[in-house]
Amino acid sequence: MATILVNGVRLEVQATGDTPLLYVLRNDLQLLGPQFGCGLAQCGACAVLVGGKEARSCVTTLAEAANQEVTTLEGLPARWAKQKGLSAEEAKRTLHPVQEAWIEEQTPQCGFCQNGMMIKATELLESNPNPTIAQIKEAFTTSGPSPNLCRCGTYMAIIDAVRHAAVIMAKGR
Amino acid sequence: MATVSKKAVNVYGATLSRRQFVKAGGALVVGVSLVGPEVLKAGRPRAAMMKNTLDPTLVSSWIEIHPDNTVLIRTGKNDFGQGSTFTAYRQIVAEELSVPFEWITTVVAGDTDRTPDGSGAFDFLGHGTPNIRKAAAYTYQALLDVASERLGVAKDKLRGRDGVVSGAGKSVSYGDLVKEQQLKLTIPVKGELTSIFGLTIEGNPPMKPVSEYTIIGKSYPSSIISSKVAAKETWATDVRLPGMLQARMVHPKTLGSTLVSVGQLDKNKFPNSKVIVKGNLVGVVAPTEWEAIQASQHVAEGTKWTDWKGLPDSAKIYDYLRKEADWTTTPATKSDASKGDVSPVLASAHKKFSATYQLSYMKHAPIGPTMAVADVAPDGTVHIHTHNQNPQALRGEIAMMLGTTPDQVIVHAYPGPGHYGRSNGGNAGAEDEAVILSQAVGKPVRVQWMRADDMQWSTQSPAAFSDVQLAIDEKGKLVGYQVDHYMPAMQDDRPIGAVIAGLPTMPAPEVASKSVTSTVNGIADPWVYGTVPNLMERGHGTFQVGQKASPLAVGIRDHSMRTPGQFQQNFPRELAISEAAALAGVDAIQFRIDNANEERLIGALKAVREASGWDTRPSPRSDARSTGSTPVSGRGVSAMLRSGTYWACVCQIAVNPSTGAIVVEKYTIAVDPGIIVNPAQLKRQVEGGAVMGISHALLEEATFDESGITVEDWSSYPILNMADIPEIKVVLLNNPKVGRYGGGSEAANALAAPAIAAALHDATGKVNRRLPLKAAYVQAALKA
Repeated sequence: MATILVNGVRLEVQATGDTPLLYVLRNDLQLLGPQFGCGLAQCGACAVLVGGKEARSCVTTLAEAANQEVTTLEGLPARWAKQKGLSAEEAKRTLHPVQEAWIEEQTPQCGFCQNGMMIKATELLESNPNPTIAQIKEAFTTSGPSPNLCRCGTYMAIIDAVRHAAVIMAKGR
Repeated sequence: MATVSKKAVNVYGATLSRRQFVKAGGALVVGVSLVGPEVLKAGRPRAAMMKNTLDPTLVSSWIEIHPDNTVLIRTGKNDFGQGSTFTAYRQIVAEELSVPFEWITTVVAGDTDRTPDGSGAFDFLGHGTPNIRKAAAYTYQALLDVASERLGVAKDKLRGRDGVVSGAGKSVSYGDLVKEQQLKLTIPVKGELTSIFGLTIEGNPPMKPVSEYTIIGKSYPSSIISSKVAAKETWATDVRLPGMLQARMVHPKTLGSTLVSVGQLDKNKFPNSKVIVKGNLVGVVAPTEWEAIQASQHVAEGTKWTDWKGLPDSAKIYDYLRKEADWTTTPATKSDASKGDVSPVLASAHKKFSATYQLSYMKHAPIGPTMAVADVAPDGTVHIHTHNQNPQALRGEIAMMLGTTPDQVIVHAYPGPGHYGRSNGGNAGAEDEAVILSQAVGKPVRVQWMRADDMQWSTQSPAAFSDVQLAIDEKGKLVGYQVDHYMPAMQDDRPIGAVIAGLPTMPAPEVASKSVTSTVNGIADPWVYGTVPNLMERGHGTFQVGQKASPLAVGIRDHSMRTPGQFQQNFPRELAISEAAALAGVDAIQFRIDNANEERLIGALKAVREASGWDTRPSPRSDARSTGSTPVSGRGVSAMLRSGTYWACVCQIAVNPSTGAIVVEKYTIAVDPGIIVNPAQLKRQVEGGAVMGISHALLEEATFDESGITVEDWSSYPILNMADIPEIKVVLLNNPKVGRYGGGSEAANALAAPAIAAALHDATGKVNRRLPLKAAYVQAALKA
């Protein structure tokens, strides 16, 4: 039994402390945004924010995450709403600007990696609201435990979407 | 209350009938009826009539038009990121029906009990659109027939526009036409539902003239992208059934190992786990995923297998293929384009050369390892939840494995990680294992492969080599070209778990196998240099490497992968053509134009020349250099005709001769698919293909030793990351006069390799005819 703070809600789960956070999120909490890609922190498909930093939930144990704030793809809209001080009603209707940009740029193809891509973009834009292309490439390649990999080859669309998201965030909508 | 129709109406060979009047609701539904010799053969299951198959008499089929002016469409093609079912298919149906795009509110794809036609998730706009387009065209005609009766206006005076039929001063909306009645349009189809190509709509209903298009050609967004981004889509990975157990597989030690003894399970550590053994197949089930993972690792450590060394090492693969593989049992093929007599031209040529080109095995390498959920009920009904590219074909494979009939098997299709052709012949890899385990434990079972399972137990894109000879005359024109392509069987559709378990499957690829699963190596890269007078293109096939020697009949299994076969044939041709241009002392783009007569190819070459800022001159560059540690730059070109689409690509690279490291700096591509259905979607597809192609060209090689595949993760099988992508420029050439939609997802991935290899020659003066162009290989080649 452990307690975990996910997407702003404190929850009790039955899993043992050595269980990778990914399986806790997906199987115990039905938070299905993070995907199993490699189990080795080599691809980024399972990424979540832990204390605002991108982490690979496939190699992060429940015990390690227990005392920190975890945000999954499902929690991005509320995270944005809280940062912008939106009302509960507004918050329900909104997506995170990163998600909006991902749709407007038609970024995903199969989409299996894009959970991690949107988590990485959120981490980047929260610390650097107007990144250059070089900074975006650096963020998605060398800033984490491994590059965030996309097999469909959507890197151009991701770069376009990050820049688009930066514009949306600057407008504050 | 039910009232049978007055009289059925013949709609260009389809049949429109009124089933009954209903108090509320109503619909026009479009069903199927089998025609042709298939229905006459006794004993053959009548695909469209099988139980658990979409029945044309039910209120569910190709297309439904509802009284509230909404439209539902269904297709057997399960989308894997191409986007076509959620954009192009809706646009094509909306266009042929003359309804607003937004009316098409629902797209049902893939499920074997909810979609009519089967077939694989490939060639959406080539092989795929005739079905959905014809279904819509038939429906439009039927709507005019119904409106004619309703309005009392002759059919030829009526026209549909924005979902309203009008003529002679009268009008009625489509929704009102179907209100309170159950209209059924039965359209003729033929084919086999569970074959790789599924059912095909027959007949020739009139199509809307291209000049009247208002929806095709616009960039509508894909509806499934929104749900994926918002974490609202249900993926195959998300399926959880009541009582479901989690499972991991313990695959054999080698590609030819048989089981000696299975490891014991420590019941103290894993009290709820269970080991299931079927033949040589070992699986571990547990209530939680984490226990299944740990217990399976524990069992794997204690499990004993026979040793097997029946493969050539990948370092020796080309020697093996050249000298030891059996190229005589399988008849050689010859392209339809072959003409003239190459031999005398080669003998007397002004200039000539011959060379061999080699391509390594590659992995499809989906970002998520394959998985599936199966539920085998006590009555023998099987439900499978998966992310495969051909649910109907999988249905047939599972039925064969279980010795039952396809009507006992229902496949539910969901989005999953793209795997680029790997499951277009049916199974994605884990469905059969989930069925075997579910049958054993009497509960639903979810099998999830780990990363190493996916790298080592899935199929690969086959290695290949080609021998080219060509001749150039005094004027620098190509006068003779001969190629012999060698490639092992490209498509093994056997479910691997069934093979390991010793259960029935289709045979391993052999000469007599049906179409794509045969060892026969057909010519997949259409010749495009039309003015060349003497041409000989031959294809030579053989069995999969190690398959006959493996006690499991496994070996290195192959499967078609994006631009299958054509990639293996286009790389040799396009690099050879660039080499020929250099030999002739002619610019590589101009040389292609000089030897071509197809206007669309020439158009694509000119477009890519302009867009890339190409400086017209022969290769290699005058100051080419194969030594030194400062980078030297070069550029190369490639071209292809695939699935009705003409492509031309230019890559600009910088190579460090001392390390062999290549950086692709700029990738420019021009594409003429005929009618462009959705420009924004096509552009994104081409960009993705470009990135995958650069990854293929520079990095990808599925290595193996004498026992099995040795790549196991993203470290041993690296793919391109974001930092290494070039500037990418896509030029879309809309060409409505072609009158058809060409494909756009494939080909961009194949065009990078020959263009980069030609650029390496341009930069260094040396040719590297082997893929991938890994730094170590390039370094060695430059020193040679």
